[in-house]
Amino acid sequence: MKATLLLAIISAAPALAGDTWVNFIRQNQVKSGVVWDMPVDAQGNGPSALTLEEDGALFQLWTIKQESFKDYLLDQKVVGTYLPSAEIRIQTGDPYPNVHRTRADQPFTVEIEIGGLLGGTGVPEAAKRVLAEHHLASYSAGQTSIDPRVATGSSPASSGYITTNGTMVLNFTGSTLPASDPTHAMGEEHFVVHSLPDLDAPQTQIASNFVQVWPVASGSIAGIEAGDTVRFNTPPLQLLLDNLYPSSTTYLQIYPGASRLGVDGKRVDGTVLVLDQDTKEDRIIALTDWEDAIGDEGEYTMEIITETPFGPERLTSLSFNVDRVLAVNALIGDFESTP
Amino acid sequence: MKTIPPIVFSLLLTAVSSAAPMKDRVTGEELAARRMASASPVSTLAQPGKEANRVVRPSQESIINQSVILTDGTNWTLVPRGAVLHIPEAHKGKVGGRPVGNLLSWKRFVGLNRSWVSAEEVTLRQAEGVHNVDERRTAFWPKQDKIIVAVHLGGPISVVEAQNETVSTH
Repeated sequence: MKATLLLAIISAAPALAGDTWVNFIRQNQVKSGVVWDMPVDAQGNGPSALTLEEDGALFQLWTIKQESFKDYLLDQKVVGTYLPSAEIRIQTGDPYPNVHRTRADQPFTVEIEIGGLLGGTGVPEAAKRVLAEHHLASYSAGQTSIDPRVATGSSPASSGYITTNGTMVLNFTGSTLPASDPTHAMGEEHFVVHSLPDLDAPQTQIASNFVQVWPVASGSIAGIEAGDTVRFNTPPLQLLLDNLYPSSTTYLQIYPGASRLGVDGKRVDGTVLVLDQDTKEDRIIALTDWEDAIGDEGEYTMEIITETPFGPERLTSLSFNVDRVLAVNALIGDFESTP
Repeated sequence: MKTIPPIVFSLLLTAVSSAAPMKDRVTGEELAARRMASASPVSTLAQPGKEANRVVRPSQESIINQSVILTDGTNWTLVPRGAVLHIPEAHKGKVGGRPVGNLLSWKRFVGLNRSWVSAEEVTLRQAEGVHNVDERRTAFWPKQDKIIVAVHLGGPISVVEAQNETVSTH
């Protein structure tokens, strides 16, 4: 029996860009214990040339960082004639192709497709059910990826048995990564399916997948307060932007009138920030002259808007007044000359 | 735990920026309340007993620690444990040490070091220890004065020492 193995080197690479890595695919035959390193190119796919034992084989995709000699287990999968099979698919609102990506407040779904489970009496427990696990791994400051061995190396946040073949759809209303402020949660949520041990084969991971979670952006405007009056010169402003989504467009808009959600105002020149990258970003944008964004006297509203794959959102809003009239307070009287 | 009807959930997920109305940023309090109202759907599955505590995880695995290092002082590569079949006395220092220099794939490494390392193609049954490696080949290795690494279809492979070839039924 030949096993077809798709090499996921390209999809695993984005978090590793900028360094030199060498990839290995290692096949471990479950019963005989024979270990074989499959000759691989840097990218692509191909069939495993090694005969697959009936008890199965564990395929592991490893990469080693050239500079530090640190190894990373990018993915592993067990293939076997009599093993339950599993596939985990994740769907988010972000179409980013390199990794499943979402934001802390956004819903996502996890589909777990199970095959090969058997029913009836006399069937070993390992053939009746598989164990599904949900692991949570938060990023530290500046971190953009976590070794899957570390992310799934300790007890899961939750787990449960799946006892029927078919596709199970799990709907998550948002991330459950721990954070004192849940809008600041960032990291990875890993999902793993394990087959259970029996007499011939050890318990092993038969499928895994993960979703990357980024925090909810926030923004504030320094240099002007709600209710302030602008006369002839616009005051210098600073836009303080935190946790901007990796794929987002953020800008300051101004429109006449009081604050109303959903108004399409005038985008202020020099404030439009477009991101298309693999990590969140903090920015401070200085704005000295925004005279062109306002016109006649009256009330105006300025808002920081961020547009992401999940839709447009207003990060902050404040209203101010424009008053161009020069008020002269003078006392009119007669000057009398003294003789 | 509250659940969201699948059709509503699907609508939530497929909302795209062009169609979605503008919203105010969710606050930490709002999101915390939403979390309180819905647990992980994984926890709704049949709960495992204590046996789940015995789950083996790959956290301690390392391909480097599970391999044998070959190095020429400038470059290095790794092969599975049990793949090095023969080590001449003169080349002992090149096997089993620490990584030094540039990591190369096996194919590139052996191409650069043909003077002291050689690949010995073995069958899968020989790797499994069902059959012995041909004695004429093993007798030739000392004459080559090279480190011999077992390969199968060009990839390094571990070899189990054959126990008793005559009982093989394969």
